[in-house]
Order: sequence, then structure tokens, then C-alpha cells
Amino acid sequence: MIEDILLALPLAIVVLGAIVLMLISHFPTVSLKKYNLIAVFFLVCAFILKLTQLDDSNHIYLFEPLFNKMFVIDTFSNLFDLLFLAGAIVTLLINTHYFQERDYYNGEFFSLLLFSVFGMMMLSHANELVTAFISLEIASISVYILVGYNKNSLKSSEAMLTYIVLGALSSTFFILGTALIYGVVGSTFIGDIYSFIQNNPTKEITMLIVALMFIMVTILFKIGAVPFHSWVIDVYQGAPYPITMFMAATFKIAVFAIFLRLYLIDFTHFYDIFSKILQVVAVVTLIGGSWLAISQNNLKRMLAGSSIVHAGYLLIALSSIGLGAEFAAPAIVFYLMSYFLSAVGAFGILSFIAAQRRRRATFDDFKGFSQERPYLAAMMTIFMLSLAGFPSTIGFLAKFYIFLSAIESGQIFLAGLGITVAFISIYYYFKLIALMYFYPTDEEPKKFPFGISSSVIFLMALLTIWGGVGTGWIPFLPGVDTLVETAKEAINSISVKPY
Amino acid sequence: MQNLLSLIIFLPISAVVLMGLFQVSLKVLRVISLATSVLVFLLVSYLGLNFDPLQSMQFVEVLPWIESYGINYFVGVDAISYILLFLVSLFIPMLFVFIWDEDRKGFFYNLLLLQTGVMGTLLSLDLILFYLFWEMMLLPIFIMIGAYGYGLRQANAMKIIMMTVLGSMTMLFSILYLGYLFFEDNGFWSFSLFGLSSMSFSSDISIILAAGFLLAFSIKIPLVGFHTWMAPAYSSAPTPALVILSAIMAKLGIYGLWRFGFTLFEGPLSYYAPLTITLSIVGILFYAIHAIMEKDLKRMFAFSSASHLSLITLGLFSINIYSWSGSLYLVATHAISSAGIFLLIGMIGKRIKSIKISDLGGIATVAPKFAFFFAFFALSIAGIPGTGGFVAELLIIMGAFKYSFWVGVFAATTMISAILFIFWMLQRTIYGKVSQKVADGFYELSRVELLLLLPLMLLLVLTGIFPSFFISFFEPTLGMMLFQIGDIS
Repeated sequence: MIEDILLALPLAIVVLGAIVLMLISHFPTVSLKKYNLIAVFFLVCAFILKLTQLDDSNHIYLFEPLFNKMFVIDTFSNLFDLLFLAGAIVTLLINTHYFQERDYYNGEFFSLLLFSVFGMMMLSHANELVTAFISLEIASISVYILVGYNKNSLKSSEAMLTYIVLGALSSTFFILGTALIYGVVGSTFIGDIYSFIQNNPTKEITMLIVALMFIMVTILFKIGAVPFHSWVIDVYQGAPYPITMFMAATFKIAVFAIFLRLYLIDFTHFYDIFSKILQVVAVVTLIGGSWLAISQNNLKRMLAGSSIVHAGYLLIALSSIGLGAEFAAPAIVFYLMSYFLSAVGAFGILSFIAAQRRRRATFDDFKGFSQERPYLAAMMTIFMLSLAGFPSTIGFLAKFYIFLSAIESGQIFLAGLGITVAFISIYYYFKLIALMYFYPTDEEPKKFPFGISSSVIFLMALLTIWGGVGTGWIPFLPGVDTLVETAKEAINSISVKPY
Repeated sequence: MQNLLSLIIFLPISAVVLMGLFQVSLKVLRVISLATSVLVFLLVSYLGLNFDPLQSMQFVEVLPWIESYGINYFVGVDAISYILLFLVSLFIPMLFVFIWDEDRKGFFYNLLLLQTGVMGTLLSLDLILFYLFWEMMLLPIFIMIGAYGYGLRQANAMKIIMMTVLGSMTMLFSILYLGYLFFEDNGFWSFSLFGLSSMSFSSDISIILAAGFLLAFSIKIPLVGFHTWMAPAYSSAPTPALVILSAIMAKLGIYGLWRFGFTLFEGPLSYYAPLTITLSIVGILFYAIHAIMEKDLKRMFAFSSASHLSLITLGLFSINIYSWSGSLYLVATHAISSAGIFLLIGMIGKRIKSIKISDLGGIATVAPKFAFFFAFFALSIAGIPGTGGFVAELLIIMGAFKYSFWVGVFAATTMISAILFIFWMLQRTIYGKVSQKVADGFYELSRVELLLLLPLMLLLVLTGIFPSFFISFFEPTLGMMLFQIGDIS
């Protein structure tokens, strides 16, 4: 029991932080900076605690007498928790200035952000579909509100409305799927479908396939895969920068956390059907996403479009899991880490600049940026290279693993398409690099703004490079290999069949 | 010196990182850049003193990088890579001297970055490592052309990066598939060149995989049909980028084809040989005709360069010891000549702000020394006797005759076509009436410029007079390789 409490402590700290922030937001004298500090403090506490627990918890059910097997703690969920916490911390730190420059932020904002992190953490621990749904909704509803947080902006409100209507609609599919599963299997625990079919091999399973398809609709919607992508670009653009960053880099990873858990356990008997579906979705997502990304003129919209493409790469790996690629699942985890680093960095620089006086939104606004801010431009280049999958950045290795897993599972066509799409993506990422470096500017060169935001961005850039070239033979520094091994460990820790 | 090769690869990039972090002033930047590149040159020379041409791979370093996929940091040097390594390490300090007065800091940073990329490409023996450096050297070129170039520089920079990345992506696909085939056969991953080359696989697959590599290198060389990026990129490039493009990058295409193409895919490449040889022959004539028609010096020598590279490719695909020795000898001598000629074109650009042939004329009257060097390097490109190019072209033509009579006949015509455009160009630029621009602004070679050109000239003359000394340096390596391929002649 004591051990369970200790394991649940990070979750508790985050939710406690959220409540504390909500309560003190009634005092008008507390400044934004303090809210930010308090939020970061709670998150960092949880992060450090989680870090100490990363290794020693292998598939433990939390409070088993109380919750049965609803919550599971394993390396997989711990790793994802760390990512969410890091995502939230980085989001808050980078946007310190951004919050202070705007008048519509207050204490509740930070409280909501922490609630959403709490939801995501629950999601990665959920071992039961209703729990998963509730966690997903805790995270989503917080994000719905956050998207529309700028009440004065019409675009922001419109984005919120789009997102909330479509998001709620898609969530119903999850419930429907869960209900159908309960109807057939008589349980909503993850893993029960697996054992149900194992024990009743002659049963009619059409209903289960339909149910899983419904669940998949919700998940594909949340990750913004084509044909459920229509909300992505507008919502990303309408949301304030910090929230766009949070959605792209953190929320998306959370959805993949539950998807991976479900897919690796419950879908096992249906791989031959769902791999085909995922293949088709991956093809249209890659092509549609590239199409959207190329045609954008606004940087935020381009990154939104490219995030669809990145979901497409992940779908390739997901379909490879079903076709027997051994390394596909760790490849997904590694890809998520890599995407997290580069997306946080890219969006971070955008919001960092947006915090200053001059707004930069379109590609053209970045003309001559390298002369004005050479270091930020260099970092932006690193993030763009990583997103494009250029070697010597972490993005390359991530794509390398994904394509290798596609080849391993015999999907040569998908691997070829993935490489073609990566080639196309060079165009829209290098366009930004070209604009930053190839044009003169009227602005005076500015000094590097030392501060918490820029240091965090710098750290992200450093990690992006280190993740691409890092070797294991420098003592005390984990190399790329360690990351891959951690990803493998994480995947191994869930594929322990629960019954 | 156990880590000599790593030192050579990573010295320039560490200089970039350090100088970038401390934001050094232009003066310090210049001095440190030059010092770094000179130090690299000394290291490479030291390497040469301890180098044994009779052995194949030397100074090998293997360190684990991504162990779960068998990817290692695996570098080593053999005779062929050493020659190119030496030339690159010689050119880079010269370029730093050439751009000494430049006040745009990016030039220095990009050149150093590029040096790391090129050195890494030459020395790496693991396919993923090779791919990493191969892509890494694109970026500085992209920025140098786009930021400091001329004309439609932005569009042309985009063009070069898109075309070359297209090739790289097909190569990446082939590398991945090769790695997977190795895993399927052996049960463990490896991307090392020697591991992968020991595999035997069905000819259908290997023909497709070889195409991936071939496309990457054909774009870099460029063979005819894949050349659309070349003339725009050359005409937009500032002088240092230009020297690198023609004297180093194009040669790396040949080097990659030889090192990786022929080690991994000896069978499939001989399947492609008729096609590539046809493309090369068409290229030799097509580029030569283009060169005759061009109105500015950069574009003209771009096409002349491509014409010679086509000849080198032809030699490479004839697969016998004469043509291979000739090809690799021409790679070296052509690199020296084109470095010289593009430096001279850069000097013309510095003097009269134009490189149009019509703006030039009568240089010999105004600046006789300049005219002498210009004529010397131009003629060495055409391969006049007494320079290394002559010997090399002769060897290639001999090898081509050995491959097939008609290929030999066509290969021989290139000597004539090159002489055509070189002589006509010399007639219009150096001799004839002194043009207005030349009379106004042209001045004689300065002492520093002279100092830059002399070593190149010396090397060219030496390679022309003592070819057997140089060829015997790399012939054992080629012989061994041909023996492995199983076509010893």
C-alpha cells in the first residue's frame, strides 16, 4: 500500500498543483510570474519523483484492492509521464514572456494546463477503457478551453468551437466502441479482448472488429490523421502559441500512449485487418499532410500541416507492428521523443518571437532573420533539419527506425512513399531556412536574449543534435543507444500479457 | 597517433562551434579558420608520411555508435581516399587565403563546416555514417550559394538542394534495404561497408538497389539528364563555393560510386554499364557543345567540368585497370586544374565585376602573368601533354578501347572537343583587342594570388612529368579491388 502511494505520488502532486493554483487564483494580487513558478514547481517535483521511479516499477497495478486492474504502472507509462511532464515544464518555461505580454492569462490557465497534464498521465496508466475515456476527456476538455483562452480573438474562439464540436463528436465513438466491447466480452479491461478470443476461438468476432474500429476513429481524430484532419490546421492556428505547442508536442504523444497500449494488446488478433486499414490511412495522411503543408503561407499552419505528415510516419510504423516488425513499436516511442524535441523547439522559437513586439507569422516575416538574431536562426535551422529528417539530428534516426521497420515488415511501398514524402518535406522546411539566411533585413542585429526561455530552447536544440550523433562512450552522458534501449524496455513492459 | 582520422574530421567543426559560441571578431575568425585548415593540412601530410600504399585500409577506427542496429563510427583511409583527402586539405586553406578580405563571417563558418562534411564522407566506411556526412556537406553549399551568391541565388540554391536530396533519398532507401537484407541473412544488424559487401543476393533486387546509389551519384557528378541543377548553381555560386562544387563535390560523386557502388554492387553496376557509358558519351559531347555556346566563364567551365566528369564515369564503368587508373588520376588532376581555373575566374570577377566573355579581351597585354596562368590552367583542363590530365585521359581512352572499340573512338573525341572550346575562349579573353572593362580595372596578379596558384601549377606539372610515381601510389589498391570484383586484366 505504501509503495502504491509512493508510485501514485507524481499524479497526486500534479492534481494537487492544479487545485492549489485554482484556489489561489481567487487572490487578485498574485502575479502571473508567481503562477508560472508555482505550476513549474509542482511539475518539476513530479518529474523528479518520476525519474527516480523509472526503472524499479515493472508492471504493477495501482491500489489493486481498490481499483482492481484499472491503473497500471510500468516502464512504458513512466516514460510517457516523463515526456508529458517535460512537455508541460518546457511549455511553461519558454512562454514566460509570452504570458506576461498578454492580458488574458490568469491563474486558471495554469490550473487547466496542469489538469490536462494529469489527464494525460492517467491516460498512459489506464488499463481499462472507461478510465481511458475519462482521462482522455480530462485532458481534452482542458485543452478545449485553453485553445479558446484568448476571448478577444475571433479566430481563437472559432478554433475552440471547431475543436470542441468535432472533438466531442469523435469522443462518442470511443464510448460506443467501449459499449460494444462490453456487450461482447463482458469487460472493459485492456487485455480482456485478447484473452476472450484466446479462450473462445470459435466465437463470431465481427462485433469486436466494429467496436475496435470505432475506438480507432477517435484516436485517428485526435492525432489528426487524414480523413479526420479537417480541424488540425485551423485549431493550431487559432490557438495561442503556448497551447499550439502543447497540443502538437505533448497532447499528441498522450494519444499515442493509449493507442500503443491498446494496439499492442487488444488488437493482436485483428492485425491482418487493421494493418490494411492503417496502411491506407497512412498513405492518405502522408500525401494529404504534405499537400497541406506545402500550400501554407503561415508558419504555424505549415507546422500544423507537417504535424499531420509526422502522424503519417507513425502510422506506417503502427501498421508494421501488425505485420510482424520487431522494432516497430520502439521506433514509434523513439519517433515520439524526437518529434517532441523538435516540435517543442520550433514552436518555442515562434512563441518566443511572438512575445516580442514585432509579430512574425508568415514565411515572409522571417526574411533576413539570421542577421537579426543569428543564434535563434541557427537553432530554428536545427529544428527544421530535425523535422525534415536531415542526418546528424535526432529526426533522421527516428525516420531511419520507422522506415527500417516498414522494410522489415515487407511494406516496401510504404517505406518508399515515406522516403518520398520526406523528400517533399525538405521543400517546406528548407524554404524557411532559405528565407532566414538568403535575404537582407532592415532590423538591427540583436543580442542573444539570455533568459529562461532562450536557455530552454537552446537546451532543446542541443538535445536534438545530441540525439542524432550522441555516442555512448562519453561517460555519464546517455547516447542515442540508451534512448533506443529505453524505448525497447518500455515496449517490453507492456507486452507482458495481463492474464 | 591513434585518433588521427577523427582529429582530421572533427577539428574544423569544433573550431566552428567554439568560435560561434564566443562570437569572435572577424579578425580572429580569419586567423583561426586559416590556422585550423593549415593544421588539418599538416595532419593530413603527417598521415601521408606514415601511409603505406601497398596495404588497403589503414588508420582504421571503430567505435560503437548505435549498437542495437550495428551502426559504428567506422573510419579508415586507403590510397584513393588519401589522394582526395590531401587535395581537399590543400584547397581549403587556399580558399581561406583567397577570401581573406571578405567581411561576411558566414563564409568562414560554412567553409569549415564543409570541410568536416567532406573529410567525413571521404573517410567513413559505415553506410549510415557516410550518409550523415554526405548530407552534412550539402548545407554549407546551400547557404553559401543562397546567401552570398549572384543572380537568382535563392531559387538556384533551392534547386541544388532538392535535386541532390532526391538522390540521397533513393540512396537512403537502398542503404536501409541492404541493411535489412543483411539482418535477414545473419540475424544481426550491420551497416559497415565490408559487412554488407560480403552478402550475396538475388540479381533482381540488387539491380533496383544499385539504381538508388547510382541515382545519387549521377546527380552529384552530374551525368547528362541529371544536370539541370548544375549550370544555375555554378553561375550563382560565389568563388569558394564554386571551387568546392567543381573540384571537390563532383569528385565525391565519383569517389562514392567507386567506393560504395563498386564494392557493394559490382554485378548490377556492370548491368548498368552500357546505359551509363552511353550517357557518358552523350554527356561528353553534349556538355562540350554547351560549353562552346556559353557566354560566361563560370557556366562554360561548369559544362567543361561536367564533360570531363562524364569521361571519368566512362572510365570507371569500363572496369579494367587502365581505365580505372586513368579515371582516378583524372579525378585528382582535374580537381587541381579546376580549382586553379575557378580561382582565376574568381580573380577576374574581383577585378572587373564581370565574367562575361564579351567583356573580356586582351588580358595578355594588360596582365601578362595573369594571362600565362589562365592559359596554363585552361590548357591543363583540355589535357595538353605535360600536365597530368593528358596522361589520365590517355589511360582512360586505352581502357575504353579495351572495353569496346567504338566506346574508345567516342571517348577519344573529347580531347578534340575540349581543345575546341578552350582555345576559342582563350582567343577571345586573353588575346585580341583590349576591352573597355579590362583596360579600366584589370591589374596583375598580386603576390598572394601568385602564391596560391604556384603550388597548383607545380602539382599539375609534376603529375604530368612523373605519372608513374603517382599512379603506382594507388594502383595496388585498384588492382586489389579489381581482383575482388573478379575482372583482373
